[in-house]
Amino acid sequence: MLNITNLHSSIEGKKILKGIDLKVNAGEIHAIMGPNGSGKSTLASVLAGKAEYEVTEGEAFLDGKNLLEMAPEERAREGLFLAFQYPVEIPGVSNINFLKTALTEIRAHRGLPELTSKEFLKLLKDKQELVELKSSLVNRSLNEGFSGGEKKRNEILQLAMLDPKLAILDETDSGLDIDALRIVASGVNKLRTENNAFVIITHYQRLLDYIIPDFVHILYDGRIIKSGTKELALELEEKGYDWITQHETGTV
Amino acid sequence: MKQGLYNNFYRYLIDSFDKKQAALTYIESVNLTAKRNEAFSIFKEMGFPTRKYEEWKFTSLSAALKDELQLMIEHDHSLINTNRIHSLDAVHLVLVNGRFAPELSDALPEGITFYDTQATLAESRFADKISTLATEDDAPMLALNTAFFTEVSVLQIAAHAIVEKPVHVSHVFTVNDIAEFVPYRMLVIAEKHSEATIIETFHSDSLVHPLFVSYVCEQEVHESAVLHTHMINTLPENAYFVQHREVFQYRNSVLNNSNIALSDVTLLRNDLNFQLKDVGTETNLIGAYILTGDQHVDNHTLVDHQSPNCNTNEVYKGILLDTSHAVFNGKVFVRPDAQKTNAFQQNNNLLLSDQATVNSKPQLEIFADDVKCSHGSTIGQINEDALFYLQTRGIGEEAAKKLIMQSFIFDVILRIKIESLQDYVSDLLNKKLNTENLTVV
Repeated sequence: MLNITNLHSSIEGKKILKGIDLKVNAGEIHAIMGPNGSGKSTLASVLAGKAEYEVTEGEAFLDGKNLLEMAPEERAREGLFLAFQYPVEIPGVSNINFLKTALTEIRAHRGLPELTSKEFLKLLKDKQELVELKSSLVNRSLNEGFSGGEKKRNEILQLAMLDPKLAILDETDSGLDIDALRIVASGVNKLRTENNAFVIITHYQRLLDYIIPDFVHILYDGRIIKSGTKELALELEEKGYDWITQHETGTV
Repeated sequence: MKQGLYNNFYRYLIDSFDKKQAALTYIESVNLTAKRNEAFSIFKEMGFPTRKYEEWKFTSLSAALKDELQLMIEHDHSLINTNRIHSLDAVHLVLVNGRFAPELSDALPEGITFYDTQATLAESRFADKISTLATEDDAPMLALNTAFFTEVSVLQIAAHAIVEKPVHVSHVFTVNDIAEFVPYRMLVIAEKHSEATIIETFHSDSLVHPLFVSYVCEQEVHESAVLHTHMINTLPENAYFVQHREVFQYRNSVLNNSNIALSDVTLLRNDLNFQLKDVGTETNLIGAYILTGDQHVDNHTLVDHQSPNCNTNEVYKGILLDTSHAVFNGKVFVRPDAQKTNAFQQNNNLLLSDQATVNSKPQLEIFADDVKCSHGSTIGQINEDALFYLQTRGIGEEAAKKLIMQSFIFDVILRIKIESLQDYVSDLLNKKLNTENLTVV
């Protein structure tokens, strides 16, 4: 589904990604872990199409389509979703109408008709229950005045509504209390199918107790330096990032 | 001193004054004639304002003051669109080219009285009030209006009257055959303990020839009266609209004003002055503008705190596209006696074109020492993070930008408390941004 080869990216001349290779198949969950500044969020932003990041080398394909040639909205319409680490507050744009506009665009791209208000509200209600988000929040301005946990749950609500092929969760677990973490994790688990895939970017192993990854990759200094199964995350948790960095710099 | 513009239209006006006044001798009071003569001499001396006048530094009238302009003559208005606002439950009063059109207007509810030109001039308590609130000394456009206005009307809200239904004063202008100049005015008196809502719309379906409107509105808001006022401009291209509004607020009165320019008007200049004459008043001012093409909108507001314990809150927001030009000049005076003043002012602009211009000038002059005053003026672009966020949800760049623009202006529109009027203004917003399909609310 997602095929990244030798991806290099820099911002303002500073190299961040230095040759990423990653292959994600339908039905899989991949976790990408790494210390701060290793390039985890950059990878997410580059895939979503943030303009500040320049791709200097390499390729990224989603189901055979070249992601890097597409505008951010086209990537979204093709089935890519990024759950933001810091969701943006947009006063004056109501959550509900924003969702309807987004869904209409994405459905149109898939050749599907616009949902009637009734169908839309039914769908919204179902998905809202998934993330246990109050209706009062759904009716408010987009993310405005939401707590950290509410913002993250709202990201998962959008994910559920837009039904992407590939969802990238950028540190969705950071700043969540354990209840919110469980809600987010259970939402993701319920949304998981044979046809979609998840890339979960996280600093901590904690979220992976609730969302069991098929593969774990460790990102360090712009490269994936180690890949393994879920046990790798546990090992990392136990030994700490120093283990990896020492390993990488050859001091072990 | 001779820094004004003295063009053909100026000479035409100077030449026509005596003849026009001669015809009014038996209608107008001696007092009013004296005021007109005085105003005329001010205008004659100063000419039309040019950018050399401090108050007109960023607004040039030279393109508006066409040589061929003439004072408006009679029009047939039997087929006019009276610009009723669908779904707004209001009493409809129609002024065609400034003149009251009784056959197009509804009857007024109890507690509010309307006087047309003839009735106004016949009542010395009204006639003598004309031009006593707004005074011309160094305001040539105001002097021009005082010297030349033909129509004047009065809206009076009786003491203790609570008029529930809004009064929609629909100012409509007929499609003209020649370039015309329409100077007229209105006086609004909200007697003590009254409450009323006055919605003024300014509309013309389309204009083939230039229309230059000079409108002066004087308002008195007496003790404990509450007056909600709305000004909504839906004038088309080729309209040049200059308004002077002078409001006197007395003890514990409340005045709300919204000033909406989401139309295609070519030039709009508002001078909105609020004089807080006595203690405990509240004044809330909101404004919104979106300018495209070559539009020019200049809002000058003055809030003059002359007494203690008065509160003012002002928020104006605008979006500039293409080669448009917006001016915001927000003066707040806090006189030595005006202790415990709370004055808040904000003007935010989105400047979305390299060729567009915003001149935003907050101007606070504070002579009291126990006051809370703040002002903020911003000129910015579309928030890139917000744009990217919307795009990552599949919303195209253009649509996402419009959504952000809508939300920027909607922040102001939400403060309009009458729901159907809020809907009407939202429709104007969507029409202006061409976003009928996007909904923000």
